[in-house]
Formats: sequence, structure tokens, C-alpha cells
Amino acid sequence: MNLPDYFLADLPPAAALTPALIAEACQTLKRNRAHFLADRSTRQVIELLSHVAAEWLRADNPFRQLALEQGPAKTGFAPATLARGLDSFFGSVTRAQLEALVEQDLGEGRRLDATTAGSGEAGARRAAMACGPELLVHITAGRLPTPTFHSMVLGLLTRSAQFVKCASGAAFLPRLFAHSIYDCDRKVGACLEVAEWRGGNTALEEVLFAEAACVTVTGRDETLAAIRARLPPGTRFLGYGQRVSFAYVAGEALSGRQALHLAAAAAQDVVAWNQLGCLSPHVIYVQNGGEVGPRHFARLLAEELARREAVEPRGELSAEEAAGIASRRALYEVRAAHSAETQVWGSPASTAWTVVYEADARFQISCLNRFIYVKAVSHLAQALHAAEMVRGKVSTVGLAAPAAQAEQLVRQLARWGVTRVCPLGRMQAPPLAWRHDGRPALGDLVTWTDWERD
Amino acid sequence: MIPALTAFAARVRAGISAAESRPEQPAAPPAAAGAAGFSESEFNRLALELFALQFRHNPAYRRLCEARQAVPGQVRHWAEVPTVPAPAFKEFEFTCLPAAERTRVFHSSGTTGARPSQHFHCADSLALYEASLWPWLRRHFLPELPAGMARLRCAFLTPPPAQAPHSSLVHMFDTVGRNWPAAAAGGSGPAGPPPLFLGHVAADGAWTVDLPRAVACLEAACATGAPLALLGTAFSWVHLLDFLAEQDRRFRLPDGSRALETGGYKGRSRVLPRAELHARLCQQLGLPPAGVVSEYGMSELSSQAYDAVVRSGGGAGEEAPRAFRFPPWARVQIVSPESSREVADGQVGLVRVFDLANVWSVMAIQTEDLGVRRGDGFEWAGRAGAAEPRGCSLLAEEAGRRGAPARRAAPFLVRVRSRPSGVTVAERTGPGASSPARP
Repeated sequence: MNLPDYFLADLPPAAALTPALIAEACQTLKRNRAHFLADRSTRQVIELLSHVAAEWLRADNPFRQLALEQGPAKTGFAPATLARGLDSFFGSVTRAQLEALVEQDLGEGRRLDATTAGSGEAGARRAAMACGPELLVHITAGRLPTPTFHSMVLGLLTRSAQFVKCASGAAFLPRLFAHSIYDCDRKVGACLEVAEWRGGNTALEEVLFAEAACVTVTGRDETLAAIRARLPPGTRFLGYGQRVSFAYVAGEALSGRQALHLAAAAAQDVVAWNQLGCLSPHVIYVQNGGEVGPRHFARLLAEELARREAVEPRGELSAEEAAGIASRRALYEVRAAHSAETQVWGSPASTAWTVVYEADARFQISCLNRFIYVKAVSHLAQALHAAEMVRGKVSTVGLAAPAAQAEQLVRQLARWGVTRVCPLGRMQAPPLAWRHDGRPALGDLVTWTDWERD
Repeated sequence: MIPALTAFAARVRAGISAAESRPEQPAAPPAAAGAAGFSESEFNRLALELFALQFRHNPAYRRLCEARQAVPGQVRHWAEVPTVPAPAFKEFEFTCLPAAERTRVFHSSGTTGARPSQHFHCADSLALYEASLWPWLRRHFLPELPAGMARLRCAFLTPPPAQAPHSSLVHMFDTVGRNWPAAAAGGSGPAGPPPLFLGHVAADGAWTVDLPRAVACLEAACATGAPLALLGTAFSWVHLLDFLAEQDRRFRLPDGSRALETGGYKGRSRVLPRAELHARLCQQLGLPPAGVVSEYGMSELSSQAYDAVVRSGGGAGEEAPRAFRFPPWARVQIVSPESSREVADGQVGLVRVFDLANVWSVMAIQTEDLGVRRGDGFEWAGRAGAAEPRGCSLLAEEAGRRGAPARRAAPFLVRVRSRPSGVTVAERTGPGASSPARP
């Protein structure tokens, strides 16, 4: 299948992007939005999105096939990793989840269609309507496509024209998603643009920012700050900085059989997108005192990762990344040779997966690509104390705990600053309505018009 | 004293002397020269013997070998000898020397508060270090010796040894300085003046180049017409070149002048790619491209690699492709980080060094450097993400992964001038700087 040249990212690599080209693309997007998108109803957009998503889940879908054929070379993810990641995301883009998202963030399902009143407002003779930005620009980063897909879904819900600027070399999957929308509805597809260039091209970005009503940026904190400083006054900025995640397994959850399930779930979190997302765990804290102890759990996890490697291999890394893993693994092997407080399990003759058990609870940034720490703690408070250096930067905690303890643990995590808690095994599969970094992602895009009736 | 190690070191020294006394062939590739005492089979024999000695006398190393189930008797080839990752020298004492016999220690620097790596020495091991470093430096940096060098002056951009007693680099320069006058005189005629150290350690511990003295040294060379050999870390070179540029000063050093550059920057305020640094050395000091040589060394090693032989006579002819080569008493392997097997020529992998001159510590060192294999040498290609885990900063991890070049693990503290105000801040370079101690 050859993709037609609908988007800037479809142009051959030699084609030079110019500020004039970007400006023209933005104006076309706005025009198309006025004609084709602005007046669509929420129901119509939800219909379209859930249809596109359902198509992506079909084995014979040409965009999915292309993603799995060419994706490994273009993204570095093995086909099985890609397939699982795509299924997880598109499986969440259902009519029910889309409706739930709108209701959750805007209080009422038709807020984007008309002035409506929630129960509290009606009594006060008030109503309100939400409108999305005319042109929404996404500056994306990182190697995972799903945050970009998620941003595009939100932008369509708000009926915004969207310009998706990908990091160089990262446009392949967002481009396929845009094509799949175009394929389903050309008019809506004409309100999307996808381009890629190396960030910091001020000539192109100045034009883009001048046209944008709202800019979302994903990336390192310095990138966020630099872009924010370059936006014209009045352009809204939504930044999603770097986050880390970890898991916590309560001792009481670790009975013999359950421990195997939890090791498999933890392996899923390590394998998903090769651990490269902000929602992937760096460390799994395991509480002492369970039927299966932390070190034993680490061994179970290693066995599970070996099994997963056989069916869902991690794929090749750059020499630099592989060398990072090899070097760090070698250092832990020296430590392990000298102390029973460290133990290392790793794929033989490759860097495909590594488990490092440490009695030392201090949080460690993993070198990722299926390199996971398992650390022993006495209780959650000790884990949080040990993770103090990443406080305020933690997105997700994958939690395994008996129901009777869970609520109290979540309260503890919330007060400490964690923005999402989910079951172990689902860290990289947030529901569509999740509050990204603790903020209502859809709600943050809209502007309200309040109507106080006579 | 461990007589077996002393005896082994004496044999390595004898081999080095034999290699050194072979007829000089400055034009020949260095690797082809001096292989006499260290043929492949002889190297293998010596390496296995040294492995057995180190297994026996180096407890930290023995534990690692046992954990890896690679012990003397089973290991048949030098390339199978278990390697110690360089960062492990920060946490463990990889030495055969009992505490009472450690008279010197060389450190690599880390960031403030971090543990430095430690390479322990005694009089015998220092003597071997000196015996190893001089002939290989001489062969690459002073290929004209012993004749015709009487006028060549020498200066280092580092502090003198009294101020940096734990720097293996400064010790190396000091050794060069001690050997210099006699060598330059070629045994006939009067010896020249002793080399100068043009740096010092500031009150805050940072290394700094004494810029007025360095400029005076350049001026003197131009005035007298006596060629100048300058040796320094990459960062001290940047410091000096930036200063000259700010002052709008350019020099045309006399024919026969040369420069040696070693080490890196490690996330310093300004990093110059090696090619650019070399180009600026040529432009600003009037050196021919073939008058600039890079050195690869680490405080954990006792031998060094050089990427070219100086041709100081004006640079006629095409410059040979550069690749770092160790002396015949050391071997380098570029290994795949995945399989740990040697990569094919032209492929990139981790640099692994087997150094027979490392008698009292560990012969087999796994560095964190990436290299492209070029025959029996390599081209430096960056650094692996810092092995030593960090937990203190998300972004430090990111910076580490970006692999700012810094390969010398010698402890050089450099004063970085923040430009243009001239306000100075203390900075340290060296791979350790990327690897703060375990938090």
C-alpha cells in the first residue's frame, strides 16, 4: 500500500519545508475546519473516531498492516510490541469511553454542541457551552505514538483544526493514523496536518505558533520552557513534561499463585512499548513479609521476561543504548559478586531484558528497554521516602494490594503527588479519559461561554 | 611484596625495552613496530599468566571471576579473561596491593561528593607505568628522537604534580618531563630546559590554565624560533584557544611544533567535536594538521593509545586515517554490547583493553567508551549511557545518554570560564563526571 501525499509528512525527505508552506497549511486547515468540522456534532465525531479505532483493531486493516510491516524499521519496536500497543490504545477508543470522557471533563455530553446546563447550573438559571481552539498545534516527542494519537483524538472532539509537529523520524505512526481518518472521512482528514522536523527550527515554528490558538508540547522540561517563552501572548500553552513511574506490590498480595500472576502483570508493564513511556515503571517496590519475598518476586519476573522475549522480542537497539545496558549490567554483576544484597538476572548473550534486585530501596532511573529494578521495602512509606528525589515527577504507580488496603494506599500516593494509580499490568494502558499528569486533558483544551439567563 | 608480581613486571619491562630498542621506523604504522617481545602467542602466554596471578592476589577480582565462572585453567585465550567495568573501580578496591603497600593512588574525578575511581600503586607499579607510557608517547609524539630535537621545548597545560598527586595524567606528563631533556639532547650536546607546567589548582580545587604564562610560552617560541610541544586535556585546550580568540591573538609556531590532546569535556559548558578542536589548534597556533595527536588513556590503565604519529615538518602528503592504537604490550577489542563478541571491522562496539602493564590491579578493563573497530585499532565513537545508576536527576540521565565525549578517566579538574563575563566556576571533567556515585 502506498500512501497518497495528503500531509507534509508524506513529502519525500528532500522536500524542504518553508515558513510560507507552513503558513499556507495552517490557513488551509482553518478554512477546512470552518467548512467541514466546526459544525459537526459530538455524536458524529464520536461515531467517526470509534469507527476508525475499530478498523485499526482488524487484522486486515491496511493502515494496521502497514504499521506492522514498516513500523519495526521506522520505530524500532518489534511487530508484536507494536501490535499489542496499538490494540491497547485503539481498544480504548470506543463510543462508551469517548462519551464518558466528554461527560467527565465537561460535565455534560452536549457541551460542545449547544448551551446546556448541568444540574447545579439549571437551578441557578445558568447554562454554558464549550468551544475548542480554532487551530490546535501539537509538538510531540518521544518514541511512543500513543500520546500523539490521544492528543489528536482530543483535538477532534473539540472540533479543532490540528497541526501535529513530530520530532524528526517520529512521524510514521501519527501519519498513518491521520491517513486512516482521512480514509474514513476526507473532510475531517482535511482538517489535520502532520509534519516532522527537528525541534528548534525557529523559522518554521514562529509561523506555526503565530497561527495557533493553543499549543500542546510533550518533552523535556527545558523544551517546554523554551517553547512557552516563544509563544505569542494569548496563545494557550499546555505542557506535558517528563515523568517517571513505578510499581508497588504489597506483601499480602504475594501468595504463591497470585505471585505468578503479578509477575506476569509486571512483565507486561516492562515489555509494553519496551518500557520507553513515561507510564512505564523504572522500579518495582515489593513489600517484605509476603509469602513470596522481593528477591523471589524478582526471579519470577525474570522468568516471565524470558518467556515474553521468546514470543515478543524486544528488537534491536542502537549501539549506544545497548552499551548503556551492558555497562550498567556489568557494574551490578560486580556488586552482586560482592554482596548478597544485589542480584542480577539477564538475557544470555544479549541485552534483551535485565532484572536487578536490590535491598537498597533508593529509587533508580532505569536505562529502560526492559531493564527493571526490583527493590525491597517494609511499607509504602519507605518506598515513597526512597523515591523522594522524583517526587512531583511521578505519573503512574502500578499497584498490587488486597482490596482492603488499596484505598488507603491510593490516598497515601495521592497526597504524596502521584497522579495515576492503576493495577499492575495496565500501566501503559490508561483509559481514554485518564487525566494526563493529573489534569483534565479535554477540559484543558476548551474555552467556556457562560450564559446567565434573565 | 608479592615476588611473583614483581618478577612478572620485570619481564613486561624487559619486553617493552626490547620493543623500544628495535630500529626506529617512524613512517611505519606503529602497530607493525615493536611486536617482537609480544607476538600473539607470547602475549597470550603472558596474559594468562597475569590473569592467574591477579586471580590469586586480587580478592575483589577473584570474587568477580568466580561469580562469572571464569577462572585460571579454564580460560584459554586472553580475550576470555574476565573484564572489570571501569566504573567498578569507584566502589571496589581492585588491587593486589595490601593496604600497607599502597604508596600512591590515582583517581578519576566524579561530580562533587561522588566517589572517584581508585587505581592503587606502589613504587614497582609506578615504575612499570612510566616504562610503559614513555616509549609509546615518544614513538607517536616525538618520532624524530633521538636526533635533532635539542631545540624542541615542551610544556603542559595541567597543574604540576605537586598540586595534582592523584592524577595519572599529570604523573604521565611529569614522567615525560623528566625524560625530556636527556631525550631531546639525544645523548649529545647540552640538555634543554625542563618542561613547564602551565596550569595550577585553584583554591576551589579546579584545574585552571595560567593563561598569561601560556601566552608568554607561545610568544617565546615564536621569538626564538625554537619549536614547541604542548600537551593538554581537550578542555584546557578549549580554555586556551577561547582566550586567544577573545584577545584576537594568533600564532604561527615554529616548524616542528606539535600538540597533544587528551580527554574530554563531559557536559561542560562548551564541547568541541575533536575535528573542530584540531582545526582550531591548526588555525590559531599555526600547526600543520599532522602536528596534532590525540591520546586515549584512563586512570585505570597503565598504557595509552595514540591516533597518529606526528609529522611536524609542514604536513606534506595525505594524512593517514586516524585510529587509536595501543602498544604491543596491550590489546584492544571492540565488542558488541549485546553478545560481548568482537565486532567486525568498521562496526561499533564497546572498547575493551587488556593491558599487561596493569600488573598490580586488573589487566582486563571494560570501558564505557564506544569505538569503531579499525583493524587492530579503533576510532572513538562516543560513550555508553553512564553505567553507574543515578537517581538524583531525571535530566542528568538524559544528558548522560546523550554521551557527551569524555573518555579520559584521569582526574582533571578544569576551570570553566563562563563567557563572556570571565566569571569562573569550578567544573570537573573526566568520565567520572558523568557518573555520580551511587546516591
